Formats: sequence, C-alpha cells, structure tokens
Amino acid sequence: MFSRRDILKIGLASGAYGALGPGPRRRVFADNLPSSPRTTPFVVALPIAPIAQPTAAFATRADPGDCVNVDGSTAFHVHGPRVVPTNSQFFLIHEQARPHSFHPQLPANVIWGYNGMAPGPTFIARSGTPFLVRFVNDLPQNDPVGIGEPISAIHRHGGFQAEEDDGYPIDTFCTGQSRDYFYPNEPADGLVQNEESTLWYHDHAIDITGPNVYRGLAGFYLSFDAVDSIAGELDTNPQALRLPGRMVSLPSGEQFREFDVPIVIQDKLFDRNGFLVFDTFDHNGFLGDKFVLNGAIQPFFRVARRKYRFRFLNGSNARFYQLFLSNGQPFVAIATDDSLLEHPVTVKSFEIGPAERVEVVIDFTNTTLGQEIFLVNRLQQTDGRKPDQLVSPGTQLLKFIVDRDAADPSRVPDTLRPVTVGPQQLLPQVKVKRTFDFERSDGAWQINGEFFDENRIDAKPKRGTPEIWTLKSGGGWAHPVHVHLTDFFILSRNGSTPPVLERGRKDTVSIGGPDFGDVKILLPFPANFRAVPRPVTGRFVFHCHNIEHEDMRMMGQFDVQP
Amino acid sequence: MTPVATRLAGLLALVAAGCSGRPPEPPPTPPNPVATIREQHLPNIELVTHEGRRVRFYDDLVKGKVVAINFMFATCRNACPESTQHLVEVQHALGDRMGRDVTFLSISLDAERDTPEVLRGYAEAHGAGPGWYFLTGKHDDIELLRHKLGAYELDPVIDADRTQHTGLVILGNEPAGRWKAITALGKPVRIRQAIERTILPVTEWPTGAAVVNEVPYEENERGKEVVTADEVAKLLVRDP
Repeated sequence: MFSRRDILKIGLASGAYGALGPGPRRRVFADNLPSSPRTTPFVVALPIAPIAQPTAAFATRADPGDCVNVDGSTAFHVHGPRVVPTNSQFFLIHEQARPHSFHPQLPANVIWGYNGMAPGPTFIARSGTPFLVRFVNDLPQNDPVGIGEPISAIHRHGGFQAEEDDGYPIDTFCTGQSRDYFYPNEPADGLVQNEESTLWYHDHAIDITGPNVYRGLAGFYLSFDAVDSIAGELDTNPQALRLPGRMVSLPSGEQFREFDVPIVIQDKLFDRNGFLVFDTFDHNGFLGDKFVLNGAIQPFFRVARRKYRFRFLNGSNARFYQLFLSNGQPFVAIATDDSLLEHPVTVKSFEIGPAERVEVVIDFTNTTLGQEIFLVNRLQQTDGRKPDQLVSPGTQLLKFIVDRDAADPSRVPDTLRPVTVGPQQLLPQVKVKRTFDFERSDGAWQINGEFFDENRIDAKPKRGTPEIWTLKSGGGWAHPVHVHLTDFFILSRNGSTPPVLERGRKDTVSIGGPDFGDVKILLPFPANFRAVPRPVTGRFVFHCHNIEHEDMRMMGQFDVQP
Repeated sequence: MTPVATRLAGLLALVAAGCSGRPPEPPPTPPNPVATIREQHLPNIELVTHEGRRVRFYDDLVKGKVVAINFMFATCRNACPESTQHLVEVQHALGDRMGRDVTFLSISLDAERDTPEVLRGYAEAHGAGPGWYFLTGKHDDIELLRHKLGAYELDPVIDADRTQHTGLVILGNEPAGRWKAITALGKPVRIRQAIERTILPVTEWPTGAAVVNEVPYEENERGKEVVTADEVAKLLVRDP
C-alpha cells in the first residue's frame, strides 16, 4: 500500500513535472481569493465515467410547474405525461451531493453530480433509438457549502431536441422533483450530415448555471450512427468509418468504451485546506488554478502503441485552452462541437473555448514503451476577459504513459461526414440577417443593449429557413457564444475565411478580443422532428457560455415560428 | 485501465493519503460560507452617512441585514441619474419595507466632493426616504470596498473611469450568506423583485407567471435586417 511519503516520492521521481506544478499562479485581482494548495501531479489515473445504463420502461410524468427559480419564475413549458416511441430507452439519473476526491492530497469535497459523480455517467446513444431520461433532483435543500442552488434545468448541449426538452432556463425542477427529457437521437431534419457526435449535458437553471456546473453538474452524451458506429473500429459494415474505439464488456456485465476517451477539462480553485472555492462576486468569469480532467487534478492515462480517439470538452466556466502534445506530435482533428468534420485536419495544436468540443485522434504507434507524453495547455489566461497569450512551456494537464502494444484495426478515413446541404444550398434561401452585439456596459453584460428578460423575445426566425447572424463583441472581451437548437456554419471570422477547425459545423463560437473578432454564422433552423413527428417551433436561448456572463444575463431568446 | 480498476486506483490513493505514520490529524472542516464572505468581501471600513453619522460598513450597515448596494457620485451625468431614478422607483414600490426589511446603501466614488452635506442635498433632491443611506469616506477605503464587492473593471483604463461602476446593484442577505448582483439599469420591476427575493425565505417568494408577466410581454427584434440578393451573391462567391 502507498503511504503519503510514497506518493510524494512518486511525485519527486517524476522530477521536473512536479516543479511545474499547477502552472502560472493565478493573478488574484481583488485580493479576495486564495491560491490552491500544492498537489503532486500525475499520481491519479484519469477517471472514466461509467456508461449510463437504461432501466425498464416507465410511464412519463407531468413536468413540475411549481419549482421556484432564483428569479422567482416557474417553468414556462409544463407538459402532462408524454407519449414516446415504443423503441425508446429509459434512463433514471439522480442529481446527488456526494464526497468526491479531486486529488489524494486534498480532502474529499462534497460535489453535486449526476448519480453523485463528476463528471456524470456518459450516455451512449445510437441514432434512431430515442432516449427518455428522467432526471431526479436529490440535491440537499440546505447545503452547507454555499456553491450552487438545488434547482435544475438540464440542457443537452449541441443536441436536437424540442423546446420543452432543451433545458430552457426557467423550466426547472427543485429538490424532491423530477423532469422527464425526451431526446430524439435523430439528426436535424433527418439529414445524415446532421448526425450528432459529442454532446454534453449540464445544468442550465437561470442565474445559477455557473455555480451549479462548477459544483459538478456536467456529463458526456455521445451519439453514434451507422457510419460513426458504436462498434467503431470492429464494425464489419463496409460503410463504417471504423474510427478508433470499441465497446468492451467486463465479466461483471459492465461495459466500457476502449480507445475512445471523452475528457472534460475544468479549472477549479481550492482554499488552503483543500475545499472548493467559488466567488459569486466575480462577474467577469471565474478562473481556477487547478486543472481537473474527468474530475481529477492532473491525472495520468496509460496508453497502448496505437491510435486513440479523444473527445475534449472544455467544461470550464470561463477559461480558454490551447492544447499541444509535449513531443511535438500533431493531432488529427475529426470533429468540432456536435459534428464530425468532412475531412480530418492535422494540427499541431488547437484552441478550445468554454463549452466547445474538439475530437482528435492521437497516434501513439511510433512511440516507445515507457515513453511519457504530456498534454500541455500553453494558453495563459489571468482573468475572465479573454486569453492572454501563448506561453512556454505551459501547464501539463495530463500525462500519457505508453505501456503496452495493442492491435489497431481502426482507421481515419479521408472522408468523414460529407456536407450535402451547406452554405451553397442554404445561402440562396436566406431572407433575414441579424446582428447581435455582445457588450459590457456599466459593469454588466448585454446583447444589443438588453439583458435577458424572461418575457422578451429577441428574434423570431422561421422554422426551416436559414438566417445569417453577425456576432460582435466590443471592449476587448471574448465571449464563447452558444446557440441552442441549431448548429451553424461559420461563414467568416473578421471578414476572412475561418481557420481550418472552424469550417465544420459548430454550436459554440468564440468572438471578441483581438484574436476572435467578429464572426458571421449561417444557421439552418431545422423544420421538423421525426421520432415524435412535429414541427420545430418555440422558445430557445442563445447566450455567452462564459457562465458568469450568462448568469449576469448575457442571453437572448428566439421563438421559432411555424 | 478498466473503469473498475480506475476507480480502485483512486480509492487506493485516497486511502494512502490517510495513512501516513503519524497519528491522524483531525480532518479539516469545510469553511462556513457566511464567515468566508464576511472575511473576503465585507471590509469593516469607516464611512459617513449623508446625515453626518460615522458608521462601520460591516458592523453598522450590513451585519444581520438585507442590503442593496450601489456606487454613485453626485455630479455623475452618465448612468447614475438612471440608476438613482430606478432605485427611487423601487423605493416607492417597496413602501414601508424600506428601512425595515431592506437598506439601500449608495456609496460615493467621489469622496472629495461628495461631503455628507452634498449627499444630503442629493438624497433630498431625489426624495430618498428612510432606510436609504448615501455614504462617503476615505477614497482608498471605498476603492477597496468596490473591488471586494465585485464592482470593478479588469481594464485599468476603464476601471479608472468611475462612471463605469454605477450600473450594478449588489444584493445581499448577510445572515443567510446569499449575495448576488443585478443591473441597476434594468427594469425597476426586476430590481424590486430581486430585492424581495433577497429579503424573503425561498418558501415565501412571489412566483411564477405573475412574476414573469409583471413586465409585459415584448418582442424586440433589434438588429434584424432583410438580406439583399446582392449580399447573398457576394457570400456565395466568397465561399465556393
């Protein structure tokens, strides 16, 4: 058994890594906040969240309409029990407060997690099989920690779902209540190009999304289809892409996904005793100085000499990252946000803003056994305003340890997901353009001079009718802007063709500051749901995903017209 | 590593952390959020009210109370008149709850010119009633307080412009440890609702559609324009 001293030795044995520690010290603006205590990096294995397991079918329930939000509102979308397709699978997820170890040198912290875990269980969905997920709020009503409120709305970020299932911020449920979410698991408008890839689910309750997500309410939702299939590299279907990844069943019956690894990166801050800190007086964007991957500070991950698919999600409240491999090896990017790219793109590094996803293949084939390779963030950020600059050597977030050989039947085909209805087809249908100016004004956050108001509609796009939106930000602030319901094409960034990793579909895009500038996006606005046939209509939000800005009401809503 | 093995490794590490050779230290206890907020955000600086009374920020104005705090100065011509006007409307809407259930603290960013007498004139001119204090004090103290309460700008140039700090209302229920901020420039109805929720325990909040609809339904498609065929043609050329 290890002693504390042994762990320290392991830390010392890894030499320079320990010295690099948590990276540049947080610059504390208002002198309010501590720096986190030292932790030895790379002593914990990267945790992998278990796969969400379906339960027996159950009758859907009416949505609760009496949960009171911190803005006093109660749910807008209140439906009776719903009829779901007979092939639906059912899930029961409990939001629970549970002790969690971020690092063995820190005390257990009581987090809020889906099934008590942070990140929550990973959903594995197959296009064509809808899910009905009942989320039950078991969060404590009188929580002593003071981070978050036990009020929930669940947003499946990047997902195509109806307004009542979208986690509209005032459609909440309180402690002791549950809400049923229907996820059609179908591509928007039935178009194969719109098959979803890496989604995530997280809390979206009005005004308190920041602390609730920070406390742990986030998890992965991976979607597969016939081509990017669950069987993955072992798929015998000649159409299958056979990207790295496969399902493995353990003798216990438990399944897990091998060689296809979702990793959520979050930054957190701890007080001198190792307890989680959040600052509700910080409206600029909360930054931590500890880098938490799948719930563990600076973990390690043992890999075989073969290809792996990694699905990176930036689940931080306000921090941007630019990720490199320490051996200079490139990444082969295969997906951005919710969509596979048309063609893989080889990059030395990639930037990832809050809520964005980038999927990459890393090929360890030409490494040596025993080799250690680090995933490094070289993007420095010292406040919630924007990332500062690339620095060297940066902060090591994760250590890959190459420790074995393994067969590799996977491949990365030259064509991943062709776009059949792209800007060429959509642009001639565009009748309306809109400009949204994301502004900081007098210490608060606005879009086109207005704060989110529960009772104001800011746009009325028509279903099935594409629009062009120009997203602007003044004052040197960066804003990762997320649009619900519809993913979009980036037509231009600062008037120029967007960089290579922004030429696929996106659901979140960073704007503002000298680096990001203004963007012009093309939004298709889907027309129909098919699993439960109905037109796409109703209220959805769009907002800054720097969650402190979102909670300070940098959010608008559009009402899709029939 | 399998998920089970991964979790086992985590568990081992946890156990390892707890079994060094020395006698076990008592585990640290999580901090009390009310005390943490007091220590980190509520400095006990000395201030003077518009009535000339010397007070301490924490001891006399905040401790055990529900407060709505904003920053202003008497000669401010930008956002302040609107913020103050909104707070005046909120004051009237709150009626006799002012001073009893909630205290307004308007803190001057112009300590030099905003003497208690000047602030008294300002309060009278705006019809500020009981339970609303206009406060002045030492410049450095107030700067400290402003930063601690989150009413600052990261850009030092903008931060130096005091008109930029007048758009927030910081709401606190000190004994409950509940703090939030809303914009002073939003609709007074929303400010009043937020103050009511700061005062009342959750179980007594006014709720639901009535809260939402107290501001009438509105459609405001700001920034919408019709696209011309020309414009689309240009975009099509640029995106072959």
